[in-house]
Amino acid sequence: MDNKHKFDLQYFLTDASFKNWAKGLNKNDITYWNNWIQSHPEYLETVENAKSIVTGINFNQNYLSSDKVNNALSEILPKLDIDSSTNKKTKKLRSLNSVIFTSAAAVLLVLISYTSFAYFTNQSTTIHKTNFGEIIDLKLPDGTSVVLNGNSEISYENDNPRLLYLKGEAYFKVKPIPSTNAKFWVVTNDLKVEVLGTQFHVNTRKQKTNVVLDEGSIHLEFKNGEVTKMIPGEMVSFSNDSEKLVHKKVDIKTPYALWRGGTYAFNEIPLEDVMLNLESTYGLEVEYSSDSLKQIPISGGIPNQNLKICIAAIEKATGTRIINKGNILRVQENPIY
Amino acid sequence: MELHSDETIWYFFKKGEANGFSLLFKKYYPQLHVYGLKLSNNQEITEDCLQNFFIQLFEDREKENSIKNLKAYLFVSFKRRLIKQLQKNQKNLPISEAQLFKTNFTFSAEEISIHQEIQFLCTSTLANLINNLSPRQKEVLYLKYYSGMNSSDIAEVMDMNYQSVLNILQKALSKLRKASENQQIKNILKKS
Repeated sequence: MDNKHKFDLQYFLTDASFKNWAKGLNKNDITYWNNWIQSHPEYLETVENAKSIVTGINFNQNYLSSDKVNNALSEILPKLDIDSSTNKKTKKLRSLNSVIFTSAAAVLLVLISYTSFAYFTNQSTTIHKTNFGEIIDLKLPDGTSVVLNGNSEISYENDNPRLLYLKGEAYFKVKPIPSTNAKFWVVTNDLKVEVLGTQFHVNTRKQKTNVVLDEGSIHLEFKNGEVTKMIPGEMVSFSNDSEKLVHKKVDIKTPYALWRGGTYAFNEIPLEDVMLNLESTYGLEVEYSSDSLKQIPISGGIPNQNLKICIAAIEKATGTRIINKGNILRVQENPIY
Repeated sequence: MELHSDETIWYFFKKGEANGFSLLFKKYYPQLHVYGLKLSNNQEITEDCLQNFFIQLFEDREKENSIKNLKAYLFVSFKRRLIKQLQKNQKNLPISEAQLFKTNFTFSAEEISIHQEIQFLCTSTLANLINNLSPRQKEVLYLKYYSGMNSSDIAEVMDMNYQSVLNILQKALSKLRKASENQQIKNILKKS
């Protein structure tokens, strides 16, 4: 530090070690700046000002809940003129009669699902299906919102949109109808979920059905006849092999893998299990260069709307390198780490 | 953990697909929503305006070639739009930008964390002190410590130069610091 410098606010604010001193972070920096101040008392005022700017004011940020943001998003998406490629994609639709969209983009599905009731009211069944890696937000005729993950399908009879069949994975926010107390059902291969107004998540992949309840209350009826009631924050798993029910409370300590509108939330889940989710959502195979990699734990949110971003996030979280070669993901050590 | 850089988000947004739009929307809608509420104190206008803002942003995505700083760009263009709308709504009594901010940008005690450097003030006193600062000072404090912008972004959003941002910050915070020090002296005197 020499005297050619102009010791003004900007000087202090752009100095990383000064910031550490102000926040009390790094021992060396603290010692250095304490000494510096003693030998430069004439800059005390500027130093104090710079320190206050660095430490600032701690606000409690009160941002909108992700539910509200998702609602706003599902309101705005149909108003967008998303891509002229919509026209090209339309040709790929085999037949609108079957109402199965095998190769349409997620974008197109969003548009179609909003208009389908106008076009297909004479059809007896409505089916919404996603391809690998697609996610669609749906509003059902009764006002219930559904986020359908990739490689999944829901269907319902048009005269009863509150009885849904699900394959794959979806997040539901059921609109209560207090006047009639009308119930809402989700049926999967393993179980039937009976619902009043509530928010919950159902995953039927991996020989196992998982139901996670966020809000409200639901009854589950399993194909083996067992009936159980769930409370918010609880996860119930039903394994096809053992035909056994497991209740778990979802909290910070239990490992879990949840999916909420476009993001997987993991808590101390081994990489191997995280990749299983990718396998079923994107239709991929995963290889590991060594078995030890499988056990690296992951915590945090991983977006799954886009495979590239998703892989990048996992690489970052685990310090591995993931190579995507024709539907095979190869996980290996990252030499940089 | 920040999952995507703004460059990534903007790249996907520009491609014109729903995923790219959702990424940008989910990241910035909540931030712009609070900013809009602080500016307008009116939820309905803020939300209408935000919706139109995002639609227009999407429609014009190809016109915007080089956005150096996405966050500052979004804040400044949304603010312009919101102010225009507020002025339209109050056509009969034209208000200047300064008047508009005078009535708004208030903070509640709940919005202020108790873990403060300025530790001798309770949150409601601190909120009061902040609310009595000038509108520009409040907005700069908001952008810096609530929205986490750096000073050069703030300069862009507030349409002033970097040095002015520093000066405003310095003045606002030294006012708060002085109040804290006075309180500290009072506390000591009380004890003795």
